[in-house]
Amino acid sequence: MGRQIAMVFDLNKCIGCQTCSVACKVLWTNQDGRRDMWWCSVNTQPGRGTPRDYEKMGGGYDAGGSLILGDLPHPDDFGGASQFNWQAVHTSGNGGGHTHLQPTDRQPTWAMNWDEDQGAGEYPNAYYFYMPRICNFCSKPSCVDACPNGALYKHEEFGVSLRDDSKCQGAQQCARACPYKKIYFDAVSKTSRHCIGCFPRLEHGVAPACVRQCPGRAVFVGYRDDSASPIHRLVEEYKVALPLHPEWNTEPNVFYVPPLSAFMVAPDGSIDESQRRIPLSYLESLFGPGVGTALRTLEDEMAKRKRGQPSQLIDTLIAYQWQSLLGPFDRDPSAIQW
Amino acid sequence: MAKQQKTTKGPASEQSYRDAWKWDKVTWGCHAVDCYPGGCPWRVYSRDGKIVREEQAAIFGTIEPGVPDMNPMGCQKGASWSQQHYNEERVLYPMKRAGKRGEGKWQRVSWETACNDIADAILDAVKDQGPQSLYHIGTPGEGGTQQILWSNFSAQLGFQVTDLQAEINDFSPGIYTTFGKFDPAPGADDFFHSELVLIWHANPVYTNITWYHFMQEARYNGGEVVTIAPDFSPSAVHADYHIPIEIGTDAAFANAMSQVVIEEGIFDRDFIKKQTDLPLLVRSDNRHFLRAADVDGSGADDQFYWLDAKTKKIVPAPKGTLSPGDVDPVLDGTAHVTLADGKVVEVRPVFCLLRDMLNAQYTPEKVQATCGVHPKTTRMLARKIAARKTRIMMGWNSGKYYHGDLMERAMMLILGLTGNWGKHGTGARSWAVGLNDGMFSVLLKSQSGPEMTLATRGMRNAMIESMMEADPTMTDEIALYTFERQMINMMGIMTPPAFFWYHHCGYREVWNRPGYNDPEMKRTFDEYFQEACDKGWWSGIAETAKQSEPRFLIEVGGNLLRRQRGGARQLLEHLWPKLKMIVSVDWRINTTGLYADYILPAAQHYEKMNQPYSSPMHLHVLLIEKAAEPPGEARSEWQIIQGIAKALQKRSKERGIEPWARKNGEPVQLANLWEWITKNGDLAEDEKLIDEVFRDSAILGTIPEETTLESMRKNGAVRAVGWGGSAMMVCQQSPIEPNKTHTPWRNHVEGLKPYPTLTRRAQFFIDHEWYLEAGEELPVHKDNPHHGGEFPLRLTSGHPRWSIHSMNHTSRIILGTHRGHPVMYMNPDDMAVRGLADDDEARVFNDLAEMRIHVRHSPGTQPGQVVIYNGYEPFQFKDWTGPENVEPGMVKWLHFAGGYGHLQYRGLHWQPIPIDRAVHLDVAKA
Repeated sequence: MGRQIAMVFDLNKCIGCQTCSVACKVLWTNQDGRRDMWWCSVNTQPGRGTPRDYEKMGGGYDAGGSLILGDLPHPDDFGGASQFNWQAVHTSGNGGGHTHLQPTDRQPTWAMNWDEDQGAGEYPNAYYFYMPRICNFCSKPSCVDACPNGALYKHEEFGVSLRDDSKCQGAQQCARACPYKKIYFDAVSKTSRHCIGCFPRLEHGVAPACVRQCPGRAVFVGYRDDSASPIHRLVEEYKVALPLHPEWNTEPNVFYVPPLSAFMVAPDGSIDESQRRIPLSYLESLFGPGVGTALRTLEDEMAKRKRGQPSQLIDTLIAYQWQSLLGPFDRDPSAIQW
Repeated sequence: MAKQQKTTKGPASEQSYRDAWKWDKVTWGCHAVDCYPGGCPWRVYSRDGKIVREEQAAIFGTIEPGVPDMNPMGCQKGASWSQQHYNEERVLYPMKRAGKRGEGKWQRVSWETACNDIADAILDAVKDQGPQSLYHIGTPGEGGTQQILWSNFSAQLGFQVTDLQAEINDFSPGIYTTFGKFDPAPGADDFFHSELVLIWHANPVYTNITWYHFMQEARYNGGEVVTIAPDFSPSAVHADYHIPIEIGTDAAFANAMSQVVIEEGIFDRDFIKKQTDLPLLVRSDNRHFLRAADVDGSGADDQFYWLDAKTKKIVPAPKGTLSPGDVDPVLDGTAHVTLADGKVVEVRPVFCLLRDMLNAQYTPEKVQATCGVHPKTTRMLARKIAARKTRIMMGWNSGKYYHGDLMERAMMLILGLTGNWGKHGTGARSWAVGLNDGMFSVLLKSQSGPEMTLATRGMRNAMIESMMEADPTMTDEIALYTFERQMINMMGIMTPPAFFWYHHCGYREVWNRPGYNDPEMKRTFDEYFQEACDKGWWSGIAETAKQSEPRFLIEVGGNLLRRQRGGARQLLEHLWPKLKMIVSVDWRINTTGLYADYILPAAQHYEKMNQPYSSPMHLHVLLIEKAAEPPGEARSEWQIIQGIAKALQKRSKERGIEPWARKNGEPVQLANLWEWITKNGDLAEDEKLIDEVFRDSAILGTIPEETTLESMRKNGAVRAVGWGGSAMMVCQQSPIEPNKTHTPWRNHVEGLKPYPTLTRRAQFFIDHEWYLEAGEELPVHKDNPHHGGEFPLRLTSGHPRWSIHSMNHTSRIILGTHRGHPVMYMNPDDMAVRGLADDDEARVFNDLAEMRIHVRHSPGTQPGQVVIYNGYEPFQFKDWTGPENVEPGMVKWLHFAGGYGHLQYRGLHWQPIPIDRAVHLDVAKA
């Protein structure tokens, strides 16, 4: 058996800055054919997400373990634009018409982060939070199962699902089967593509770009079977890190610490400390029934710190040493000599 | 089950990914921009002579044991800056306007032609209107050391270099009014020590991406985060409490909390006696401080008094220390004093006046109608502040309100009453840059090498020491500010732009609109303006601006037409016709460049050796190396300066133009300008220059003695060891300790060192005549004037998530991280009544202008509020008309006050700054 990497995104630390998604883009998808791809994306929740309304598209496995081929997202559901009319703006010499900057490849009605900072609720009780998404490195990857050409495989050492580009025929069954809709189509190479877990970096002991470049220190990476790791502590011991949509049955290896939120404003304008703004039912719809317990555990442990008592969980989440987020992948890439 | 390990030995496609990650060169990088704190250390990866990507270096070690480290400082702009090196917006060659201004017709010219044309325009302007017609618009822009050098170069040529603090308007007038300085800049890691963080007039989730984590880590660690904002701002996402306050009513809310802590007796009596002016006595007959001039007729108008509880006598409050000595100053009491003229007057401590005012007007119940905060919430928060180490995480939002000074004074008051500054985890947060004194010394000295560096600093120190000898109560900090004030007045290093705006940019008409000003003003704006000029409060600056018309304007890495409140509406109509030449020096074509006569291509961040701005936020000085050659004919700023210097030298000789005088009367070094700036060529190369800057900084004590370019190449960054001589660093008034987080103002609190204010204390009572006339001697709440006109909605804004000023908004990658076009946040109810759906185009209008923008459905936006985060390029909007056009660009008349202790101009500090928050307007479907 090979090993399996896992990640934890702490949503109480994520500030939606997209440094992860930008770092990923610059490294892997900043070229023709891939410009509309965001292997790592961050969305405001509640929201329609990336691609638009992906949660309604289907995929994964049913309760009996049968593969579900869901809908294939339309390119417009990913949306975005990457070409702009610079020439017209800068040097058109068009007699003062003042052409403004606009996309030339598409007039988008959606994009990776289209509904940024919208969320839900009614003023003053509006609420939202940020959620990054990458490949879930599933233990039961429906994408691998679905490929008619046998192009997809689980990487032996890291357990990331990869694609042999030479075998990929662009059938996009993987994209239909992936319930998270994190698989894109490259119109230039006519192949599908998705997050590769930065395996070339892992091979050199360097954390994935989205982890190592997160200024919020919100992402942990490590091996799932390392019982001494922060990931094990968060996922297995304290159970404060949960998979997204476990009911899709692909057994993701990416987990989320659910967000606490501000207390409600009562109808008389005072603050009601018995209720937080994000409805528990909404968080349960994302992370399953364990989310209420996870939030209580977080609150209890934070209360310990308020009383001056120690908390192993809180120390883990604070991550006093940045390297502790990187697990065994804490090498400085600039030290590599090719 | 998944088909695990079907292909274990990687196919060729694996290798393609491995190859994509490779590089052949690694250099140190950073972004020399005035984001805050900036100075994030990066590694830049290049391949085949081209920059391919960057990644945070993450090299900062733990400073204080038990406090999280600062890694990996950086943000999404930084993580994609490499790609902006090759964006379509780059300017590659010197470009000369070929059509009308703004028409978009350009002619590529040689550097020689460009430099000669620009030199001739400078010489023409001097001949026509004198050197005061030359304007260098001061901005931090893009450039770090190389940019600062250009400002110095322009100043040496007698340019009016406008004060960047007013240009960018990141000033905190109320913090300044209270402390005589506005720039307390705690270490980012010091937030971990906070037990209560009030995010108030700031949006750090957008603007402090690099170190927001400390606030969340403090929250995890048992602290609490409270966000006070009209909207459910992104910085309320991780708050325990969001207090949805009415727009612009923060002074009322802060005062109500102050009322609670005084009424409940939970204020810090010892702290306010030592640190503040609250025990100082005020005459009941005229509401002026009791001064020595009143008491003994000595004429000293800066000696104040308090009442000793033990002796019941009036005693002079010491000026040279905050220690009360044997005196126990009374906070609550009344006394009668016989003045030198025999008159008997009643006097009371400021504390009494304050308490009476708070009880009369600012109980939590009374302010609820104004600020919409429930009294229970006000009391709850006031009690928390009184009980905990509290820091206000503030930015530069409050200062951009018309009455932002009052808000800030009230915010400082609740901190002061509760003993919340000068201790780890407490205080207000502002910004400051420095720690790299070589940045300034290198051009000002007459020759290269350490001798002149030491000699120049020695002369300065001697002058400061002589001031302190003349007045033994003067602290080194106060002496430095006095010295700087004199230098700036004498040398004309920078000038407050308010007078330039008034006389040459059409603001006189706007500023005089009665409805746009405080309705409580007793006289017209112009009457106050004229009085300020007549009384010499601005020491001739006002007259200089008036004397000659602007003829030449240069901006380096700035974008005036985006930034100026009033934008194209004011500038294209009023200023542009007066200018014979407008030069934009930048790596990209921005809106100001589009309306300029010349665009000169600057090398980008990773294409030249440079140093970014350094700050107390992380206390490190960094190096930027050249990773690759700039594309086209782009050059570093330092090389462009030299080209212009040589051209000026040559053209003035050819045209027989004699050197003109700078403000201090010295002739400019026209005949040997290049030799003078490069120190006879010693520093002509970028590497030589930057090496000298590091060496000078080491000599001047900000970085370790052994620091050189070589050591910086090895380590990339070095932690500061001393504050050096720049005012923004000296103002920190705390020791730099190797294993402690930085908290400003410990010298005041622990060492009882006086503040640089008129009263030498944190001053909440301002008895300047104008303040008394305005009823603003204490921090009061006043309603926001209806600037913009009588319209139902109010535009607030803030720094954006996506850009540092306008620099990154047009990056192709950044444009892909959101809608890719400008948006305005609007409450769904306000949208519905106007028939607007999400992403519809709306028409935004008021008295001044109208513009088009797409709306964003935003339940978190307060009804009646619309939010347009700033920084968008005007050319991103239809007709190149952005939100700056609907901003009147008001200034508050009181900020022309002077002649009063610390209320007088010194560079980067006290002066009128433009207002752009809570502009009145309306919105309709386009």
